[in-house]
Amino acid sequence: MDLTAWILQMLTGVKLTIQLFIVTIVLSIPLGLVLTFLKMSKNTALSKVISFYILIMRGTPLLLQIFFVYFGLPFIPVVGKYLVIDDRFTAGAIAFILNYAAYFAEIFRGGILSVDKGQYEAAKVLGISDMQTRFRIVMPQMFRISLPAVANETIILLKDTALITTLGLSDLLKVTNTIVNRTTNVSAYAVAAAFYLILSYILSALFVKLEKKFDF
Amino acid sequence: MYEIEAKNVRKSFGSLEVLKGIDLNISKGEIVAVLGPSGSGKSTFLRSLIDLETIEEGTVKIAGEYLCKDGKYPHNKEKARILSKAGMVFQHFNLFPHMSVKKNLMCAPMLNKQGTKEEIEKLAFEMLKKVGLEDKLDVMPSTLSGGQKQRVAIARALMRDPEIILFDEPTSALDPELTGEVLNVIADLAKEGITMVIVTHEMGFAREVADRIIFMYDGVVTEDDTPEVIFNHPKNERTRAFIQSVIK
Ligand SMILES: Nc1ncnc2c1ncn2[C@@H]1O[C@H](COP(=O)(O)OP(=O)(O)O)[C@@H](O)[C@H]1O
Ligand SMILES: [Mg+2]
Repeated sequence: MDLTAWILQMLTGVKLTIQLFIVTIVLSIPLGLVLTFLKMSKNTALSKVISFYILIMRGTPLLLQIFFVYFGLPFIPVVGKYLVIDDRFTAGAIAFILNYAAYFAEIFRGGILSVDKGQYEAAKVLGISDMQTRFRIVMPQMFRISLPAVANETIILLKDTALITTLGLSDLLKVTNTIVNRTTNVSAYAVAAAFYLILSYILSALFVKLEKKFDF
Repeated sequence: MYEIEAKNVRKSFGSLEVLKGIDLNISKGEIVAVLGPSGSGKSTFLRSLIDLETIEEGTVKIAGEYLCKDGKYPHNKEKARILSKAGMVFQHFNLFPHMSVKKNLMCAPMLNKQGTKEEIEKLAFEMLKKVGLEDKLDVMPSTLSGGQKQRVAIARALMRDPEIILFDEPTSALDPELTGEVLNVIADLAKEGITMVIVTHEMGFAREVADRIIFMYDGVVTEDDTPEVIFNHPKNERTRAFIQSVIK
């Protein structure tokens, strides 16, 4: 057993895992925020469409959604031929982003709902416009309230990235599997677990810092 | 011309009629205390004067302009303009918790480009000084006592140089030993010519500071007179009972 060689190999998998993680976080959080605003808009039709979207994204397995984006989209009548995503990473990332945006949207919505209505009233009597109230008064408080839930979701995402293995991409789990198959030594799994743990630990520590920083 | 004019103001929450035709005129610079039992509609009335509640019927004029005319309101921008000289202080302060004291004061004037940053900063310092908290400029609201929070809220309301300030039970959320500092600040302001309407349960304060006392009961004004009359010879039976119950 050559631990150094394993670790070096696994690091290539870690790189892909981190890439998928970062792409998902960076895009699903803003998308989630947009979904939150659309869902909370006064336009009830729009709000219902978004609720339905969130229902589907949260109500079906992410694995299924990954398969659907990669294999299923081209089979949609009429528009399907424009929806062929050849790159497996792109297809997987799209599924992750669409799925996580739905979760973040609900987290942010909860955050907004827990901002005291006195905040809106104070802003109004001070002559702060609705738009400015949203961005200057409500959103900062929403982020602070949402932070623990976002931290939780982010750590789940880190582990969920392993699902991308199913598209044959060489993430940390896939690389580990290859090592186990080649060497028939299952202790490679323990090394992979250590990698995931280290990454989760770094994330948790980061969020603890963020929570301290935004404590008011 | 009155500073605040309310005519036949009516408001319901669902089937519950909360304001049953309120008529009230308040002159510029007058200090009016609003008394009455809980649930009589004091807050709802006060909030109707600053567009936090929408009335269904009646007229409200602020500084000579129609906030609402026979139940009809102008568009939002116009309402905001009409109310630009009015402020409100809430029972629960409603400071912005994510901003320092200074930012709480500067936020609205900065967003509304009321002046340069330097001017607004200077004004914030002056207003804080007025409420005796100039040393708290850079602290977060969570580090303040209730009385200090309310004083900051008052300073914040003063930033737009209001002609009218509405106070809804400004000391009801405070520990008894902290009410004095807030009432003193309000009493000082009362000397500055700002029109003030104050919903309060502080009878001593109402008696001393107010020019006039309104008594509300069940959505109507049942008595409207000088503190002297209200406290010594109230005409209305309910006012008498209420005064009796709070002055032991
Ligand atoms: N947003 C609301 N929705 C429903 N009922 C309300 C609302 N606000 C106030 N009320 C009711 O209106 C009545 C008067 O309330 P309020 O104006 O707060 O009285 P006060 O300030 O004199 O205690 C009460 O019965 C109260 O329950
Ligand atoms: Mg009240």
